[in-house]
Amino acid sequence: MIKLLYKRDGRLVEFCPDTLYCSLSCALQAADCHTPGLAQSIGEKAIQLLTQQQTEPVQAAQVHKAAYQALVDAGYTDAAEKFDAWRRQRTGARQADSPLMQAIHEITYVDARLSDMKRDNANIDGNTAMGSMLQIGTAGAKAYNAAHMLRPEQAKAHQNGDIHIHDFDFYALTTTCCQIDLIRLFEGGFSTGHGYLREPASIGSYAALAAIAIQSNQNDQHGGQSIPNFDYAMAKGVAKTFARLYKRHLSQVLEDLLEQENCQPLVEQALAQAAVSPRLETDAQQVDEALCQALCNQQVDASIAAKAVKAARRRATQQTERDTYQAMEGFIHNLNTMHSRAGAQTPFSSINYGTDTSPEGRLAIRMVLLAQDAGLGHGETPIFPIHIFKVKDGVNYNPEDPNYDLFQLSMKVSAKRLFPNYVFLDAPFNLQYYRPGHPETEVATMGCRTRVMGNTFDPSREISYSRGNLSFTSINLPRLALKAKGDEASFFLALDSMMELVSQQLLDRFEIQARKRVYNYPFLMGQGVWLDSDQLGPDDELREVLRHGTLSIGFIGLAETLTALYGHHHGESEEMQQKGLALVQYMRDFCDRKSQEYQMNFSLLATPAEGLAGRFTRMDQKEFGSVPGVTDREYYTNSFHIPVWFPISAYEKIQKEAPYHALTNAGHISYVELDGDTAQNLEAFESVVRCMHDSGIGYGSINHPVDRDPVCGYVGVIGDVCPRCGRRSGEALSPEKIEELRKKYPRVPSLCGCR
Amino acid sequence: MNQSKKSQKNVNLGKDIPFERIRRITGYLVGTMDKWNDAKRAEERDRVKHL
Repeated sequence: MIKLLYKRDGRLVEFCPDTLYCSLSCALQAADCHTPGLAQSIGEKAIQLLTQQQTEPVQAAQVHKAAYQALVDAGYTDAAEKFDAWRRQRTGARQADSPLMQAIHEITYVDARLSDMKRDNANIDGNTAMGSMLQIGTAGAKAYNAAHMLRPEQAKAHQNGDIHIHDFDFYALTTTCCQIDLIRLFEGGFSTGHGYLREPASIGSYAALAAIAIQSNQNDQHGGQSIPNFDYAMAKGVAKTFARLYKRHLSQVLEDLLEQENCQPLVEQALAQAAVSPRLETDAQQVDEALCQALCNQQVDASIAAKAVKAARRRATQQTERDTYQAMEGFIHNLNTMHSRAGAQTPFSSINYGTDTSPEGRLAIRMVLLAQDAGLGHGETPIFPIHIFKVKDGVNYNPEDPNYDLFQLSMKVSAKRLFPNYVFLDAPFNLQYYRPGHPETEVATMGCRTRVMGNTFDPSREISYSRGNLSFTSINLPRLALKAKGDEASFFLALDSMMELVSQQLLDRFEIQARKRVYNYPFLMGQGVWLDSDQLGPDDELREVLRHGTLSIGFIGLAETLTALYGHHHGESEEMQQKGLALVQYMRDFCDRKSQEYQMNFSLLATPAEGLAGRFTRMDQKEFGSVPGVTDREYYTNSFHIPVWFPISAYEKIQKEAPYHALTNAGHISYVELDGDTAQNLEAFESVVRCMHDSGIGYGSINHPVDRDPVCGYVGVIGDVCPRCGRRSGEALSPEKIEELRKKYPRVPSLCGCR
Repeated sequence: MNQSKKSQKNVNLGKDIPFERIRRITGYLVGTMDKWNDAKRAEERDRVKHL
């Protein structure tokens, strides 16, 4: 009597004859020779065969072999073949599933701190339920896509690390990112799927809806979300708030001074008669005088009218400032706390600002900077949104420029909070698009660095608003160099061939994206966020509007590539710099040609490369061993950067990297590392930013250590010992000590048990 | 940082609480290097200062 069975996956289960009869029955049916009772009688014969083998527990393979034999013995060879074929297919499918099952096992059970695979996106907490579920979805999608979505040469190249297809899990589903034109979105209100949101009427609502817009769009795309015109959009909210507050305060002051119950009608009449709209600062004197006069015409005493108008303006201004600050604070807090992206992450959000010189725009900029400076509830540095300050001659760069004070404030904040980053509108490749008075022609970036500006598909719309990247794929440049073994010509041949493969793959992916409909993007397309999507009908393909987006070819490790080809990287000599530039120029020329050929926006990307940083290197180490300066570290240097470990001055690094910004039209960034002390020296900080501007950098960022002691709340540089409370990492402080500190530093957070 | 909500009057606070070190990874900030992958951690260790 057979009682126990080992299944193929190793589980020990009760042996169930009925299962065997069932599969025999299927085989007999498939061979058209099934009759009632036949499966059972053959099954019993199979069991007899098994019992004779006298092994217990039996293996699944034994059972199948016995069943096959029993069918053959009974003369049902056709059914036997069908049975055998079906078992083989099941075995094959099981084996194909196995890496996926292993991945899911790791996702489910292993602490993210111990699993490098679970940390390929630092924004996800891989230890939470939603984070894990997202990662399981990713693993499943990748397995499916690898089997079904790629041409054989593409699958091979991706799998063996010649290329890396980014966001491969989302391959068949969506596009990367978008610059959301808030002004256009808010006009007339919008919907996020259920229920309609009216056009916002106050700065508070503007900020709240901005967060909602980012979060809604984030669930339609796999990349980040950015607002290119944050200051211009928030300015409208400030204006509405000010106007409302001015009217309200004027009415209240008049009620007090005139001892009347309700002065609103009086105020309305005066406003109508004077035909003015009170604004923050702009035409303040004329508006106030006109209103004063209008009130007098309504029989209000002149000196009362004057007092009331003055008080109204003062109070409205103060309260507008407070409301704006709170709105910005709420906006930042929201984007750091709501895991509204797939339930597992905060959205990758970015905001661009700096060029609105209206008083309202300036207020919004100042307040968002101050809110960033203040940080989160316990003074923590906000992680999102990424702030990008747009630097422009004549607007904010020079001391005589209207927003220079805000540029200075931005640097003070950046020196503490690492944001804003800086985009330079005067870099020649950005300036060519710029038209004053047309903010849509100002280059804006996604915080990660993605830049969409030029438009081969539609040269009349070379704007940043309402466009984004469609997808990107990166090439393992160092490997091509290693394979070329110093032969420059063969390197370029191989590079050319690889770029052909990648551009075809980008087009194939575009083909999938192009066939989607508006209903696949309820917000991005359904609400007209993407350029021209408002002109699409429900059954239209997205193809024509998606062509405004970019298809980007990326790369990593220029430094290691040059070292592999020529022995040195571009930080080391001018000759290598020229070689590096020639290489990247070659790639850019390729992209430009493809753009012309297909009338699409192929662009060259200095890939951000988070998960990719180690993937290529690990594989290349296996194949080529540890090659000095190439594969002797755990990572490849990002894009065209001078290696992080190479000693070089800020000035020289900026000078060397700047020309690459011009070539990488899909996006680029340069970083400078400062030590904490320099970061507190605002002159030094500004000199670095100015150096970036003068060298033609497109997008730059200054890194410095930002540490925080959660116990005493100190934010700054911490070595081994906290400069405020003196503790070491992991050490405890007594409650008395904390009380003492709190007296001196009011912002010491209260941890439970302290009060 | 998770703070336990137990009320403990005389317990020393800060035990096992590390310093938070915020660093930039490929353009965005992460509050704790716990969540960085191995390659980016290695790179961060190697970073030299430029000024």
